[in-house]
Amino acid sequence: MASIVDVPKPRVNCSMLSQHINRPVCFVGRVEKVHPSGSAFTLTDGDGKTANIELNEPLEEELSGVVELLGMVSNKGVIMATTYTILREDKGITFDLELYNEALKVIHDFPQYYPFEMAASG
Amino acid sequence: MTKLSEGAIEALINGTGGNDLVLQLMNIRRLEGGSGVVRWRVMMSDGRHSLSSFMLSTQLNYMAEENQLVPNSVCVLKRHVTNIVKEGRRVVVILEMDVIQSAEDVGGRIGDPTPYTEGAAKGPQPVQNPEPRQPLQTQNRNEAPPTVQRGFNKDFGKKGPSAMPGTPGGGSKVVPIASLNPYQSKWTIRARVTNKSSIRTWSNSRGDGKLFSMEIVDESGEIRATGFNQEVDKFFSLIETGKVYYISKCTLKMANKQYTTVKNDYEMTLNGESTIIPCEDTSDVPMMQYDFVSIDQLDSREKDSIIDVIGVCKNVQEAMRFTTKANKEVTKRTLDLMDMSGKVVNVTLWGETAETFDGSGQPILAIKGAKLSDYGGRSLSASFSSTLMVNPDIPEAYKLRGWYDKEGHAMEGQSVSEARGGGGGGNTNWKTISETKTEQLGHGDKADYFTCVATVVYLRKEYCLYQACPSQDCNKKVVDQHNGTYRCEKCDKEFPNFKYRIILSANIADYGDNQWVTCFQESAEAILGQNTAYLGQLKDSNEAAYDEIFQQANFNKFIFRNRVKLETYNDESRIKVTVMEVKPIDHKDYCKRLIMNIRSLASK
Repeated sequence: MASIVDVPKPRVNCSMLSQHINRPVCFVGRVEKVHPSGSAFTLTDGDGKTANIELNEPLEEELSGVVELLGMVSNKGVIMATTYTILREDKGITFDLELYNEALKVIHDFPQYYPFEMAASG
Repeated sequence: MTKLSEGAIEALINGTGGNDLVLQLMNIRRLEGGSGVVRWRVMMSDGRHSLSSFMLSTQLNYMAEENQLVPNSVCVLKRHVTNIVKEGRRVVVILEMDVIQSAEDVGGRIGDPTPYTEGAAKGPQPVQNPEPRQPLQTQNRNEAPPTVQRGFNKDFGKKGPSAMPGTPGGGSKVVPIASLNPYQSKWTIRARVTNKSSIRTWSNSRGDGKLFSMEIVDESGEIRATGFNQEVDKFFSLIETGKVYYISKCTLKMANKQYTTVKNDYEMTLNGESTIIPCEDTSDVPMMQYDFVSIDQLDSREKDSIIDVIGVCKNVQEAMRFTTKANKEVTKRTLDLMDMSGKVVNVTLWGETAETFDGSGQPILAIKGAKLSDYGGRSLSASFSSTLMVNPDIPEAYKLRGWYDKEGHAMEGQSVSEARGGGGGGNTNWKTISETKTEQLGHGDKADYFTCVATVVYLRKEYCLYQACPSQDCNKKVVDQHNGTYRCEKCDKEFPNFKYRIILSANIADYGDNQWVTCFQESAEAILGQNTAYLGQLKDSNEAAYDEIFQQANFNKFIFRNRVKLETYNDESRIKVTVMEVKPIDHKDYCKRLIMNIRSLASK
């Protein structure tokens, strides 16, 4: 299987995870709790719902704020993250998670205009 | 054939006529009032008697003017008032009447009515039931007391079947405001004060004085009352806005429509004999009478008309203090009002109202008597005679609140007012460039304004800078005398120097179309990111750097607020678009708007 970086990864929020089991996704959320082990944490999305994230390797840095991550959705709806990036908020404009969530819904409500998944199925 | 209410004329004269009397119109005559007000005098018959002292109340004048009321037509008199005028003559004022059979259908006079003469048929006891049908209370428009007034004869001792509350201290009957007129002096109204002015003073060659005025309503209508000097002292502190009072013995006169927004042909003046007594039982007196105009209808209303409006206060600006030409310090505050038409209008509040207004939490705002202005599209001004109600306890307000919380808050709301420079706010006339063309913006009598998000695709750098008069407020192009001086025709002066000014032609594009626009000083500087003085310097010293600035400015995206107007030069018409303002894009705002647009398009 190609690396997750190379395949299409639909952007999803928590309520869409169950429709993307065993598929690669892109998820943006605010860091809530980091497990003491450092290899699991939770993110809340723009709806205020919580997603569980697991990492292959423990975190090497403090995690806070809004992060965007790529990963596979497990059978239980946990995102097995491959890579992540922190959306820094100290550079002026803060990331508006609610607004992002609204945009996300638009993308999923009108797949005919946002055909990002075509490549994935084809 | 329609049966007339025989005996009704007699009953009307005696002040015992009920409602829904069927009468035949015999004659109608136009009377020119001294004050220019047209009244119509009507002669009616009940088949037995005829009576010529019917007057049409002025709000029914249209019926006569539209030729609905012609001789022989049969009418049903729904509401009326019998008044006693001079020498005990009685006049029946028609407040509400319908034509139930046209003159052609009737064909001619019904019965052989004789002119009613008072006393001829008058018996000491109440006349027999004046009509075959019992007057139906339920046919009254609401639960308000029947508006029939039962005359003022002294011998009319017992109360009618009406639920009319009596007046304290006996006195005259409570009558509806709509029936008040100058020909009648013994009356009492029971009405709610909806607006009370502050005390105003005057001082002129004829002396000093003070006055206050108030607006009062009952279920039939509204009227303005003014008190001067002694009456100010006597009544001003007694009157509280929102309370109900019995009011009697005021002087009625024609209303001066210039100074009042109250929908009544008359207004009253408090005099030495006037009484105002608080009334406790107030439940059936309406709070305030509104005739709301939907914001999208404002366009079709006359400038300076006085209207009532209700809406959600979407945005509110800070109060501003400034000094007028007359050297008076005034406070004003503007806000945006949106209603269920999805349109938004700019409202200006003044004075104390402006200072104390609290627009937090997007309250529902009802304004009675706002003045419509055509300043900047359409806008409203809540003047000193307007009444402002925040979250009023009326059905319209609840309906609006429900609508706004459910869907209205997500709507962009298109403004019928033009966005003011600077602040802008959320109510802008957003258009794509192709929309401005298909909608033929600027083709009307007035210039149109629109705002678009667009990318600069070309800047015409040739001849964009010019040498202008260096004096402070003059930007006139100067003539180079080629002797080291520059002449300004406007100032009629020669200067040793000039300042550079800029007029930049730019081509801007969005996804669908492009447009040539003209940018003056500030907007051109915003696009180029440089001030004009520096540009002028570069142009004269370093052409390459100057060109570079224009290159760099290409393909930047901005929010443009534009004025568009069809202009004609030498018989050739073309659309001229002038940039009023260039702003950087607020991406959050832009995203929100796009999402909203997508949702609203999808729901169509």
